[in-house]
Amino acid sequence: MTSFETLRRGLSAALLLSVAAGAQTIQQAETLRRQHRFQDSNNVFQALEKKSPNDPEVKARWGMLFYDTHRQEDEAAKLFSEALELKENYPLALYGLALLAADTYEHKAGDLAKKALEADPKFVPAQELLARLALEDNNNSRATEEAKKALALDPKAVEARAILATIDLLADKKESEWDPKTAEGYETIGHFFTLNRRYEEGIAYLRKAVELDPLLSTARADLGVNLMRLGREKEAYEQLKTCFDNGFLSHAVKNSLMLMDKYKDFETITTPSMVLKLDKKEAELLKPYFESEIQRALTTYEKKYKVKLQQPVQVEVYPNHADFEVRTLGMPGLGALGVTFGYSIAMDSPSGRPPGQFHWASTLWHEMSHVFTLTITGHRVPRWFTEGIAVHEETAVSPEWGDRLGPDEITAIKEKQLLPITELDRGFIHPVRPQQVIVSYFQGGKIVDFITEKWGWDTILAMLKDFGANESTPAVIRKELKIEPEEFDHQFFGWLDTQTKDVVSKFDDWKKSVKLVVDAVGKKDWDTAIKEGVRIRDYYPDYVEDHSVYELLAKAYEEKGDKKAATADLVAYVKRGGRNPDSIQKAAKLLAEAGNKTEAAAVLERLNVIYPLVNPAHRELGSLLLDQGKAAGAIREFHAVVANKPLDPAQAHYDLARAYHLNKEDEKAKDELLAALETAPGFRQAQKLLLELSDEPANPAPVKK
Amino acid sequence: MRLAALLLLAASANATTFYVTISGLGGEPDYDQRFKMWAEDIDGSLKKAGGDSKVFTMQAPTRDKVQAQFAEIAKQAKPDDALVVMLIGHGSYDNVEYKFNIPGPDMSGAEIASMLDHVPATRQLIVVTTSSGGGAIAALRRPNRVVITATKTGSEKNATVFARFWAEALRDPAADTDKNEAVSALEAFHYAQRKTTEFFDSSKRLATEHSVLEDTGKGEGEKDPKPETGAGRLAAAFPVVRLGANAAAARDPNKKALLDQKEQIENQIDKLKYEKAAMNAADYKKQLTALLLQLAKVQEALEK
Repeated sequence: MTSFETLRRGLSAALLLSVAAGAQTIQQAETLRRQHRFQDSNNVFQALEKKSPNDPEVKARWGMLFYDTHRQEDEAAKLFSEALELKENYPLALYGLALLAADTYEHKAGDLAKKALEADPKFVPAQELLARLALEDNNNSRATEEAKKALALDPKAVEARAILATIDLLADKKESEWDPKTAEGYETIGHFFTLNRRYEEGIAYLRKAVELDPLLSTARADLGVNLMRLGREKEAYEQLKTCFDNGFLSHAVKNSLMLMDKYKDFETITTPSMVLKLDKKEAELLKPYFESEIQRALTTYEKKYKVKLQQPVQVEVYPNHADFEVRTLGMPGLGALGVTFGYSIAMDSPSGRPPGQFHWASTLWHEMSHVFTLTITGHRVPRWFTEGIAVHEETAVSPEWGDRLGPDEITAIKEKQLLPITELDRGFIHPVRPQQVIVSYFQGGKIVDFITEKWGWDTILAMLKDFGANESTPAVIRKELKIEPEEFDHQFFGWLDTQTKDVVSKFDDWKKSVKLVVDAVGKKDWDTAIKEGVRIRDYYPDYVEDHSVYELLAKAYEEKGDKKAATADLVAYVKRGGRNPDSIQKAAKLLAEAGNKTEAAAVLERLNVIYPLVNPAHRELGSLLLDQGKAAGAIREFHAVVANKPLDPAQAHYDLARAYHLNKEDEKAKDELLAALETAPGFRQAQKLLLELSDEPANPAPVKK
Repeated sequence: MRLAALLLLAASANATTFYVTISGLGGEPDYDQRFKMWAEDIDGSLKKAGGDSKVFTMQAPTRDKVQAQFAEIAKQAKPDDALVVMLIGHGSYDNVEYKFNIPGPDMSGAEIASMLDHVPATRQLIVVTTSSGGGAIAALRRPNRVVITATKTGSEKNATVFARFWAEALRDPAADTDKNEAVSALEAFHYAQRKTTEFFDSSKRLATEHSVLEDTGKGEGEKDPKPETGAGRLAAAFPVVRLGANAAAARDPNKKALLDQKEQIENQIDKLKYEKAAMNAADYKKQLTALLLQLAKVQEALEK
C-alpha cells in the first residue's frame, strides 16, 4: 500500500475518536485542514464519504486536501473524477482537475477552468486560475483583466491580488498596491519569478511565504527545489527534509531528496571558470571532452556577447535521464535534454540517451548561451528570445550540430501553425499540440537567424539590453528593428518560406517515396533502391533520422560493390548532421580503406561530440591520428579507451603507450606498458616497446630460482 | 593465469578439437536468418583459424541428424581431444527440462548431455546461446566440461543476443586479453557477456538475459567466473580458437631451457601480482619492470 493510500484508507482509531465526538461536517474537515491537522481532516472526510457516498462536495473537497496539502496528484485526480461522475460539471472538481493540468502546463487547464466558471460564474478560484494561466503566457493585459474579474467577485481574493502584484514586481516596480501580504500570495509571486527564470527573487518571495507560514509545505518544497536548481544543495536538502518531516510527501520532495542522496556518486572537477559534476562511473572518460567544450564555449561567448561571467558555470551531467528530470522538476517541456538555472546547467549525459539520439555538445552550447543571455538581461529575457538564441548558437558553432528541419516543423510551416512573434512564448509554456514546443524552438531559432542576417548580431545584443531593461517584445521590435511586430511576422514568414519552400512542396512526395526505398532495401532490390533514392534524396536533404535516404543508398551501393558511391552518401549524411554512430563509423572505415585517413579521422572526431562511448571508434581515431603524427589527439583518444573499461585492456594501455612515446613522454609510455604487460605479460608488441624504451641489452639475464 | 597458459600449451600438442555448431529453428524468417548468419560467422572463424580441428556446422537439423553426427564424432575422437558444441536458436524450459528447438522433436538437455557423454574427448565445452539455456546447466554439467549459457536460468525466456557476440569473440583479437594468440572459453565468455550487457545498456532496454559459466561440474553457473575464486579455471585453460602459432615454440626441443626460464619468470610475475596489495607501490613497480624486461628478453631469444 502506498503512503497516500495509507493516509486515505488507514483509519487511525485514536485520531478518529478525537474528532468523532460531535457530528462530522465538511466545515469541520476544512477547519482541521486550515489548522494543518491533515490526518484529522482526512479522517473526517473518510467518515463523511462513508456516510454520504454520493456527495460530490465531499469527494471534491477531499481531493483538494490531497492536492493542497500533499500534492498527491493521483489520489486527488481520482477523487475529482469520482465527484464528476456523481455530478457532471461540478465546479470544484473541474477546478481541481484544472489545477492538476496547470501544474503540468497542459493546455486543457484553461478549458477546465472555464467550464468550472460556466457551471458557477461566481467561483473565484477558477477565475483566479485563468489569470494565472494568462500570466504564465506572459499575457499581462489578459492576466490583469482576469484577476480583476476575480476581485470583482471577491475583493479579498488572495491569488488575484498576487497575480496583479506579480505583474508590477516582474516589471521591477519596487512596491505594488496589490501586495497580498499572505504566505499563499508570496508563494504565487515566487512561482512566477522562478518561472521567469528570476530565481534569486523567486527564492526571496518563497522565503517570505515560509516565514509567514512555516507549515505552508507547498511553498517550502518550491523553495527547496529552487535552491537545488541553483546548486545550493545543503539548504535545499534542509528545506526539503523539513517538508518530508512535516509529512508533505509530494513526488518533488521525495525524488529531490533521493537525487541529492545520489550526489555522493558524482565527481566534481573545479577550475576557475567551471564546476563540472560527472558520475564517477564515466567521469574519467567524459572529463576531457566536457572540459574542452565548456572552455571553448566560454571563450567564444564571452567574446561574442561582450560580457565576462562573474562566477564559474556549474555543469551537472546525468547518466540517468530520470535523475535529470528530477533535477529539472517543474519546468515545462518534458523530454528536455538540458536545463539552465542561472549559472547552473543540468543535462543528460551522452550515456543517458540511446546512441545517436543526442548531440551532447550541441546541448551544452545551447544551455551555456542561456547563462549569457540570462546574465546580460538580469534574467528578464523572454523565453522565445533566449531559446531562439540558444537554437541559433547550436548551428553557429557548427552547421552540422543543430537540429535539422524536422517533419513536425515542415508540417507546421505548411499548415501555417507558426505563432506571431508576440505570442511565441505561448508555444513554449502552453502548447496546444504536443509538437508545438519543438516547433516553437525551431521558430525562435529561425527568428534569431533572420534578425542576425538582416540586422546583424549587434542588433541581437541591443535587444538583449532592452529586454534587460524590462521592455516588452513589441517595444523591443519597434525600437531595434524599426518595424511593427505584425510587419516583422510578415517579413519573417516570407524569408522562411523562401528558405523552405522546396522541401515543403516536395515533402509529401518524399514521404511516400522514402517508403519505397525502405521496402526495396528490405527486399534487397538494390537497383530500385538506388534509382528511387537518388531521385528523392535532395527533396529533403536535411532528413538524417532513421531510414535516411543517405544511409539506405549507402547500403544499396555497398551491396552492389560500389564503395565509392557508398562512401559519398555516408559522408554527405555525416556532413548534414547525421548522428547514427554505426553510420559515422562506417563512413570513416570506408574513407580509411580508400586511403583518405585525414577525412576518416575528421569524420570520427564528430562522434566524440555525439556519443563518445564507443571504444572501437576511439581506438580507430587514435590510430589514425597516430599515423598522422598527431600525438596529442592520439593520447586523448587512447586515454578514452583506457577510461571506458576496455574489453582488451592490454591493447588499450599499449596503444596509449605508443601515443605517449610519439609525444616524447617516455616515462608515461613506460607506465602504460607496465599496465599492459601486467595484464598480459606475454604481449610481444608491448614487450618490444618496453625493451626499446628501457634501452636494455638484448640477452636475457639468468633467473633466480 | 600461468596455469591456464601451461594447460593451453599442453593441450595444443597433438590433440584435435571437434567443433559442432548447430543453429535451430527461428520460427520466423528474421530469426531463421539471424541464427543461420551467426552459425556461419562461427564456422568461418573456426575454418580460418585452421590447426588440428574438425568443424561441423548444421543448419536446422533434425534430432536424428544431430545424433548421427555425434555418433560419428564419438567414433573418431580420442581422450586427448577436445569437443566444442555451440547451440544457437530458441530454447524452452518447463521448470523441469530444457529443450533446444529444432525441426521435428526438440532435443532435451538430458539428450544433449548423453550425446556429449559418449564422445571420448576428455575436455568438453558446450555453449548454449539460446533462450532458457540456464535450464540446461543441471543436465549438462560434468567434471572436465565447461558449460556456458546465455541465460542464468530457464525462466529467462526472451530471444537472446549472446550468440551474436560469442561469434564475434571468435574473430576479434580484442577477445584475446592475455595476448597469447588464443581465445580461451573464459575470454570468449567475458567478451560476449560484456558486449551483451553493452547492447542492452546502450539501447536503454531492460536486460532479459544474464549469461553464466559452469566448469566445476557441480555449480549452478557463475555470472562472474574468476579462476582465483575457483570458477573459470577450466574455461581459462580451454582454447576455443587460436589466432596465431603460439604452440610452435613449445614443440622445439632446442628451446626447452628458454621455455623453462620463461615459465619461471611468468611464475614470479604471478607471485608478485598476488603480493601487490601488500607492497609499496614503488617497489612493486620496480620489481615488475625488472621481471617484465627479463621476460621480454627471453621471449625475444625464443623467437630467434
